[in-house]
Amino acid sequence: MSEYSVVGKPLPRVDGLKKLSGQAKFTVDIVLPDMLYAKILRSPHPHARILSIDTSQAEALLGVAAVITGKDTQGIRYGFVDTPSFPAEERPMAEEKVRFIGESVVAVAAVDPDTAEDALDLIEVEYDPLPAVFDPEESMKDGAPQIHGEITRTTSCAWEDWGVARKSHSYTPINNVAGKVEFSYGDLNKGFAEADYIREDRFKSPATAHMAMEPHTIVASYDPLSGKLDVWLNHMAYEIKRYWLAKTLNMPNEKIRVHQTYVGGAFGGKAVIFDFEVIAAFLSRKLGRPVKLELTREEVFSTCRNSIRFDTTLKTGVKKDGTIIAQHAKVIVDAGAYKGSAAVAMYLSHAFNDSCFDRHNVLHEGVAAYTNKNFGFAKRGHGSPQMRFAFDSQIDMICEHLGLDPVEFMLKNCRKKGEVLPNGDRLDSYGLPKCIQGVADAIGWKEKRGKQKDKNRGMGIGVNGMFSGSGYWPFACSAIVRLNHNGTVTLMEGDVEFGQGPDTAYSQIVAETLGLPLEDVTLVAGDSELCPLNYSNFLSGGLFVGGGACYYAALDLRNKLLKAGSEFFKTAPEDLDMKNRAVFIKAKPQKSVPFGDLLRINIQKHLGDAMIGVGYKKAVPEIEFYPSLSKGTGRFTDAYSYAAAAAEVEVDRETGRVKVLKLAMADDCGNRINPAAVEGQMASQAVMGMGDALLEEVIDEHGRVINPTLVDYEIPRAFDVPEIILVDGCDWEPKGPYGGKEAGEVARAAVIPAIANAIHDAVGVRVFRVPITPERLLTALKNQGK
Amino acid sequence: MRDFEYIPATTLQEACSLISQYQDEGKVLAGGQSLITLLRQKLIAPSCLIDIKGVAELDYLRYDDKKGLAMGPLTTHRTIERSPIIQKNYPVLSDMEKSVASVQTRNWGTIGGNLCSADPIGDAAPTLLALGAQVKMKSVRGERMLPLGDFFTDYFTTVLEPDEILAEVQLPAPAAQTGVVYMKFSTIEAGIKIVSASVLITLDASKKTCKDARIVMSAVAPIPFIAKKAGEHLIGKGVTDQLIAEAAELAAAETSPIADVHASAEYRREIAKVISRRATKEAFERAKAA
Amino acid sequence: MEITKKVLKVTVNGRPYELLVKPKTTLLQLLRNELGLTGAKQSCMDNSCGACTVIIDNMAVKACSVLAMQVNGKQITTVEGLAKDGVLTPLQDAFLRHSAFQCGFCTPGKLMSATAMLQETPNPTEEEIRRDMEGNLCRCTGYKQYIEAIMEVAQKKEVSK
Repeated sequence: MSEYSVVGKPLPRVDGLKKLSGQAKFTVDIVLPDMLYAKILRSPHPHARILSIDTSQAEALLGVAAVITGKDTQGIRYGFVDTPSFPAEERPMAEEKVRFIGESVVAVAAVDPDTAEDALDLIEVEYDPLPAVFDPEESMKDGAPQIHGEITRTTSCAWEDWGVARKSHSYTPINNVAGKVEFSYGDLNKGFAEADYIREDRFKSPATAHMAMEPHTIVASYDPLSGKLDVWLNHMAYEIKRYWLAKTLNMPNEKIRVHQTYVGGAFGGKAVIFDFEVIAAFLSRKLGRPVKLELTREEVFSTCRNSIRFDTTLKTGVKKDGTIIAQHAKVIVDAGAYKGSAAVAMYLSHAFNDSCFDRHNVLHEGVAAYTNKNFGFAKRGHGSPQMRFAFDSQIDMICEHLGLDPVEFMLKNCRKKGEVLPNGDRLDSYGLPKCIQGVADAIGWKEKRGKQKDKNRGMGIGVNGMFSGSGYWPFACSAIVRLNHNGTVTLMEGDVEFGQGPDTAYSQIVAETLGLPLEDVTLVAGDSELCPLNYSNFLSGGLFVGGGACYYAALDLRNKLLKAGSEFFKTAPEDLDMKNRAVFIKAKPQKSVPFGDLLRINIQKHLGDAMIGVGYKKAVPEIEFYPSLSKGTGRFTDAYSYAAAAAEVEVDRETGRVKVLKLAMADDCGNRINPAAVEGQMASQAVMGMGDALLEEVIDEHGRVINPTLVDYEIPRAFDVPEIILVDGCDWEPKGPYGGKEAGEVARAAVIPAIANAIHDAVGVRVFRVPITPERLLTALKNQGK
Repeated sequence: MRDFEYIPATTLQEACSLISQYQDEGKVLAGGQSLITLLRQKLIAPSCLIDIKGVAELDYLRYDDKKGLAMGPLTTHRTIERSPIIQKNYPVLSDMEKSVASVQTRNWGTIGGNLCSADPIGDAAPTLLALGAQVKMKSVRGERMLPLGDFFTDYFTTVLEPDEILAEVQLPAPAAQTGVVYMKFSTIEAGIKIVSASVLITLDASKKTCKDARIVMSAVAPIPFIAKKAGEHLIGKGVTDQLIAEAAELAAAETSPIADVHASAEYRREIAKVISRRATKEAFERAKAA
Repeated sequence: MEITKKVLKVTVNGRPYELLVKPKTTLLQLLRNELGLTGAKQSCMDNSCGACTVIIDNMAVKACSVLAMQVNGKQITTVEGLAKDGVLTPLQDAFLRHSAFQCGFCTPGKLMSATAMLQETPNPTEEEIRRDMEGNLCRCTGYKQYIEAIMEVAQKKEVSK
């Protein structure tokens, strides 16, 4: 928008100087006096009873300060989902049995990491292995080993704490079912009856790793004198970590301070509270000394949350003119040993899908089953990459059968701007058609789609929709903008910067609102003691909610300045504007008064009022707390972002290797507060999506992750990257700060089917599971006799 | 890492004397690009590291039109990659080095260390093998020469005695009408090697008949090896695509690949056929153009 | 075993140091733990990611895979030693203007690799830049904007010659 001076400009990041000079501190860099180092001994069995643990030799080793086991943390429970019906079940260390290879069993704190590691070698654990199950359909059969007994509560449930008035109870999984969802609208049978063409297909998406560059780390420092716990950790929102640390350690929330650090990448993998974090805090409190626990890359790959394993069956009915008239989606989630966010992902795979196209009559069912493997959480899209791979691939197949063009098919089934979704969310902005057309034009769809088979080249398209924040503790963000003596301002807001750019975007929003250049905004962020409440970015609510709160805080200060200015000039506030740290009369711009003067005057005239701007924004205004995850009803988000991706690939028929030639990415983030930052998010998702489509899979064998290193889990490198064309698909979101909404999470899901469909266009072969490795593609090519 | 003693040597004689003292308890350290990782993973725990990186007399590249190339073991990958001597006379080595690991590894890692690590997916070994390399080993007891093909015995295992140091790598002078290619296949362009083929073809004066053929396969067996039957199939015959395809089949049949997270054994064998065919064809083209 | 520490004399960012180190100390541990230079990072633990890249005598090298004792008598440059007297290098400045970083964890390593490369290769093509930067893994940027930043500096150097 050319009328803005700061918003909409690709200004240099405010964290730039620190990050470019090596001064930026990450949790891994934190060193405290008298600090100890902790290491964890993990289960080698996928399912086993713990018979005995002998830590005596480890405790006697010189330099070891403490050794703790599940006995010390007995009964402590936490989890991302902790509702009256589905209680939290995760624990810092295994108690009577272990449920996956890598589960924490014993923890050691010692004077240095080497001593801690040596101590682990001295611990003897006796296990009684139990039958284990690794496939969700197997685990749901009668007679399968039961992974959880009755899951009971030892503390109040999170929802009760957050004021959702419902009595909580225990949950006993039957047939290893961790959770179920079922939602529907319309009349599915009627819809299928009206369809001219129906097809049913099944798709699989494995667990993939976030592979953020900073390994998961925590430094916990408990001071026995004050009873205060200071933590530095990898996170995506400090409130969720504080809440759960307070709960697991049974200490007041306000005694826990999360200090500001930069975080070396997250992509969803660092939002929840982890076992090693509770362990470090527990050890620190026990010893009254700081404890640092840094996971190895192998531990991150094999024991931290990876993306959710989906087995998706879609039965879709369309009319011969290409109208989608019915869809029955069945999802089986291989949850792993604990439920993680399985139920949420099943819900989201519907909700994000519903935001894109109108399917008229819908039934969405999902079941998540426990297995003896590591369990999952959100990865950039949380359920939508899995669903888009399935649905956009199926759209490609439907179009092939009916002789339709996928781009036209998608445009035809798009929703309408202003439409109200079945769950009540209203699409005040809806840039999906612009995104679809944009990538089609950019990639040369009309000219080349279906016309390069002789060169083994092809094109494909995919889309996605994403929320801009939703309901999780504490359901809103606040911000404070303080006026400084010289007319600059200080913004205090709680978001953590893990690369996604809030430090800069929010500063731009505040600067724009107050007519200041970006450098006049000083930022205090990411510290739970210095900043107001904030639920940050893990629900993609950064810009829309956090940035929105910053906008309202700046607006509050703006109004105060205009009021002070109007008193000064004895004219109405509407006659005034502001720029470069001064308020001026619009009709006579040379008549201006510096902010600094207004501050002094205001203090003088209004009993010390130093003009502080306060703002807040609730993630979803019209709901109490949550939509119903299991029933799919209820408002969910206040704005959806959209993306489309089109890929051009070339296939080597003899080896099955796919070269991605071009990726066109279009993004509707409402309005690009910082275009350079948005472009960075798009390029990032292009490459990450390519990795998902062709390369990445956490491979397990009998519950053991067999590729837990960067050598064996390959991610794209600088030379692997195709030409990336970026298209602006923005549609102004009236409820967002300067029209802005989510940008960093929507596009990855669109890239995966775009590449899968492009492969089909090139060589006529469809692979129903990702990653489409050269070996899988070659096998498919040979099977198709081509 | 476990603790160890550290002794830097300044001459080859000093290094030989030290390793003779420590034998199995000691390990020779050059660039450490393989060794340090093994130490960090506690796969080895020597009581002493003898650092030869500072032994200047082991870092050299000497070329003679008749005798060929003599390469000190401390020559870094990066030196080989950028050396005008190499680029002129053995361009395949420079090409191969461009694809080895990363610039950082190539800057510090040495050709000697790379060969001694005997990594079955190493890039240098099969290329040097195709070029007909020999290696010289030295100890306090004397020295010996071996064809590179006899240097490796198994995964990560060489014939080096506990008191021996790899002292030199030798290559014959390049023959006329010869083309050499190193071609590797990975899942993604910059990814880990699945299979590679390194092929040397020498044509006769008419440039129609193959006089010498060496097809070296790697990452498809415990050690890089010359696919003898495949090479023999080409010698004394006129070049055709059909002949090359047959040789490739033979090369693939001689492999004994394993399955791992990156690929199955069957896939490796299939790719071995494709890559050896493509590399052989390319080598023929280069030989014709030479 | 009781291992004697050894004397190490090394220059880091132009400053000479004389230190006592255990032989098993890696250069990365030396920089981060002994000298407090935390710019170089540890991410992969198996010599594959490049986040620990520093410059030893004009060469980009991964500090996690070099023993500290091996840099005895050598010159080390880390990211902390790039900017002088508060002035960013042209490469750092280009990174800033191109928004060539996001979380910043891999950035010091990238800066050192690129700095060494630009000193060594007078006129790199985009392909050469991508190849030479292969040793620096990144998950945030999609390898786009920082390649553009490096290209800009490379082209400017060529023009100014």
